[in-house]
Amino acid sequence: MDELKARLRVEIERLFDEDIVDVVIAFKKEDSPLRPQPAFFRSRDNLDSLEYNALCQNNLANYLTRYSHETRIGIVVRGCESRSVYALVVEKQHPRENLYLIGVPCDGIIDLRKIFHLTGEEITGYAENLGVVFVEYKGAVYKFSRNELLHDSCLRCVHPNPVNADILIGEPLPEGDPLFVRTAVESFEALTKEERYAWFQHEAERCIRCYACREACPMCYCTECFVDHNPPRWTESTGSPAGTHAWHIIRAFHQAGRCTSCGACERACPMDIKMTYLTDKLNEDMLNIYHFETGMDDKTQPPFASFNLDDRNRFTA
Amino acid sequence: MQDNGHNPYSPMPMRIVRAYYESNDYSLKTLELVFDNQKDRETFFEKFNPGQFCQLSIFGKGEAPFGVASAAWEGDFVRFTIQKMGSFTQYAHKLKAGDPIGMRGPLGNGFPLMDWKGKTLVIIGGGCAFSTLYALTKHVHHPQNRQDFDQLVVIYGARTSGLCMYKHDIQSWYQRDDMELHQAIDVPEDDWSHHVGYVPDVVREVAPSPQNAVAVVCGPPIMTKFTLPVLVDLGFAPETIFTSLEKRMKCGIGKCGRCNIGSKYICKDGPVFSLAELNALPADI
Amino acid sequence: MMYILEKKRLNQILSDWAQNYEVYVPQKVENYAQFLPYHPSSIINLSDPHKTRYPPKALFLPQSEVMLKYDSRLGRFEDVNSHQSPRIIFGMRPCDAKALTLLDTVFDTEEYSDPYWKARRESTVIIGLGCVEPPQTCFCTTVDGGPFNHEGLDAILTEFDEQYFIEVLTEKGEIIFNQLQLATNQQEEQIRHLQTEAYKEMEPAFETSGLKAKLDKIFESRYWEEIAESCLGCGICTFLCPTCFCFDIVDEVQRNERVRNWDTCMFRIYSLEASGHNPRPTRKERTRQRLMHKYSYWLEHINQIGCTGCGRCVRYCPVGLDIRAMLRTASIYESEVVHAG
Repeated sequence: MDELKARLRVEIERLFDEDIVDVVIAFKKEDSPLRPQPAFFRSRDNLDSLEYNALCQNNLANYLTRYSHETRIGIVVRGCESRSVYALVVEKQHPRENLYLIGVPCDGIIDLRKIFHLTGEEITGYAENLGVVFVEYKGAVYKFSRNELLHDSCLRCVHPNPVNADILIGEPLPEGDPLFVRTAVESFEALTKEERYAWFQHEAERCIRCYACREACPMCYCTECFVDHNPPRWTESTGSPAGTHAWHIIRAFHQAGRCTSCGACERACPMDIKMTYLTDKLNEDMLNIYHFETGMDDKTQPPFASFNLDDRNRFTA
Repeated sequence: MQDNGHNPYSPMPMRIVRAYYESNDYSLKTLELVFDNQKDRETFFEKFNPGQFCQLSIFGKGEAPFGVASAAWEGDFVRFTIQKMGSFTQYAHKLKAGDPIGMRGPLGNGFPLMDWKGKTLVIIGGGCAFSTLYALTKHVHHPQNRQDFDQLVVIYGARTSGLCMYKHDIQSWYQRDDMELHQAIDVPEDDWSHHVGYVPDVVREVAPSPQNAVAVVCGPPIMTKFTLPVLVDLGFAPETIFTSLEKRMKCGIGKCGRCNIGSKYICKDGPVFSLAELNALPADI
Repeated sequence: MMYILEKKRLNQILSDWAQNYEVYVPQKVENYAQFLPYHPSSIINLSDPHKTRYPPKALFLPQSEVMLKYDSRLGRFEDVNSHQSPRIIFGMRPCDAKALTLLDTVFDTEEYSDPYWKARRESTVIIGLGCVEPPQTCFCTTVDGGPFNHEGLDAILTEFDEQYFIEVLTEKGEIIFNQLQLATNQQEEQIRHLQTEAYKEMEPAFETSGLKAKLDKIFESRYWEEIAESCLGCGICTFLCPTCFCFDIVDEVQRNERVRNWDTCMFRIYSLEASGHNPRPTRKERTRQRLMHKYSYWLEHINQIGCTGCGRCVRYCPVGLDIRAMLRTASIYESEVVHAG
């Protein structure tokens, strides 16, 4: 990881030296222990704080929509992040020519909450080496396999390699097994209708409508979200089952053909709500019905955001 | 507004007794409300002071704050002039005489009339923000109140003559000998014999003296922004220049946290602030 | 004077109280604890040093609260009864309790008293649980609090071995503790020592003297752009915060109810006006509002910092923003120096 970080730094320095970018979006060393933060470097100064490791929890593509189209942005992207970037490019949220993608093949984000659940929250040290994670808690060191601690979305990752990056830092990784990827959706599908609704309710009832899932998601960039619209009032902002269920379901549907299953929504949620099973299923539908996978290039339009006269797909397939 | 045990979030039941358009483009409508409960009416008028506002409440649409546009002596009603802007005001424009409506008030601090005793009042208003200044002028017109103040100068600008509010009453002000009236519109019109020009320019032209005077400015932000320097140039000290601010409000009683500028809540510490007070607050408006 | 309650008797005493009170105690929900009504099969979780994620302010200012039910056609409405039956909240941390006393100055003023808040405050007994091992993200001692602070509590418990040592602080607290064994002087000394050690363990997170003046001074500076750059603008810090109180009042047309819901200054529409003008148009102004409110404006209102150092915002911020670090940076911020990254 340190070697990777060093190579990242060299590349970022080069981008500034050759005046290729105005800002580089990456991660930096944390204020809180074990929490690297999104960073916005504007020159080679302060690159000492550059960080890259498996604890980098956020999808950096989220920040692209904050910049004017003229801003030349360099961005460190992993697999899902690069696809989010392309999804934004396709939706014309930033021109491709003003983006420089620094691709890093990703072997998954460690879910801090899984660590906390296994040890406790006062982690004082973290290191990993060759698939083993060492965590220091209350003076003792615990060992875990990486797989035990990966965030669920990362366990189900199909495309760990950045798509069409301008430069690749690190060795490409094998693609994920699509069959294994299905397991979460499969186990949900195995439930009866009543059980599915019970599970959905069980998750949704913890929701406090903080909209962290929305704000962490690169594709939720609408200036006015449907929950904020009034009149007419599409959904209640009141924390009632009606309002909260509508929030989760409609947001998931708004992601169809746009979501890259990065899991940033789940990682942001303070109440540990599972929600990627909904978007994973919708992504699967998009693939099966419309043969569309989000963000695999910078041209193909998402099926629900485009129309052409030759369109022979039916909406209800 | 408080009786023991009274819920400050509950609106008083009111009824619309008169509803009529003020402007020829139907963007401004005046509603005059009467109280369903006598006790509410008594409590209201005991506390009411020009410059205060009320939260009008339409069930199903919510609430919105409006400055009171009438003086207490005018009768047992409360007048508001509403500009059609968003979902609440669009619905309010559909209301007619006899319709029920809710009201919470009077809220806010109102104009500091006690501090202004014996002074000349220079009242400067633009557009629909003139409504509370209208209340203030009407209040001062009453013989009992008039003696509390020195001269009264009113400058009121609207974009066109058709957009001028309270036309009929204001016309009669030209006949009064206890005040000076300067009306203005942005561009010349036939049959318009008064000022033509933007309010800041008219103020400069009228050049009210700051001697023993206070100035009250209410208008669209852009008008206020350019009028305040004119007053400062004329020699008005920041403690003698007053304005009424607006912000999105919900509770109106300083609890929901929304309408603050710095540590001041517009609903509770305002909406009337002096320029001196505003200068001490951060630029958060 | 301290009483002793054996931990194994806790369920018994909670059940006894539940005969006459609604009892709330932190219980296990998924991987965390939340204040929920007690019943005999509750899985009590008092050992989570990180307190409940969802703050107990919700027991006084619910996230959603119906204020009135209306009939829009007739323009008639009825108030929702603000009566609250007696309650005991067991296991509240001192930071959360102190926060309630701060919120009292907002909701229960001489001019306007919020009947819903007032009814709940008056009918609730709050029994606190002090923090023997304050987690790293807590900073109550920096903001005039402490792991065994008494403010807002009717009694406070200190955990030691298999026992809770109880100090009764108010009359309300006196009523519900009786027939318990008294601690010996030696035991009391031991507990006091534990408490002092907990205070000492907590190092100051940032300098508070001069902080307000500095924040006021840098109000217009670029400091806020740097802070706000990674902020997502979600509502986590404000919703989980025990001293945040902003709320929205909205008519829910599907249900004909006027409801009060938690709101947050972090959302764009919070200050958006009907004309389209927004006094806080970008993230910078909104993040600035939050910090200024807590560390400057609260001081102007009641001369106390509007934060009790519970650390939830630090722990749950999705991008790892740490308010303590932000304030440390603010206190040394020089306007001329432009920070990159």
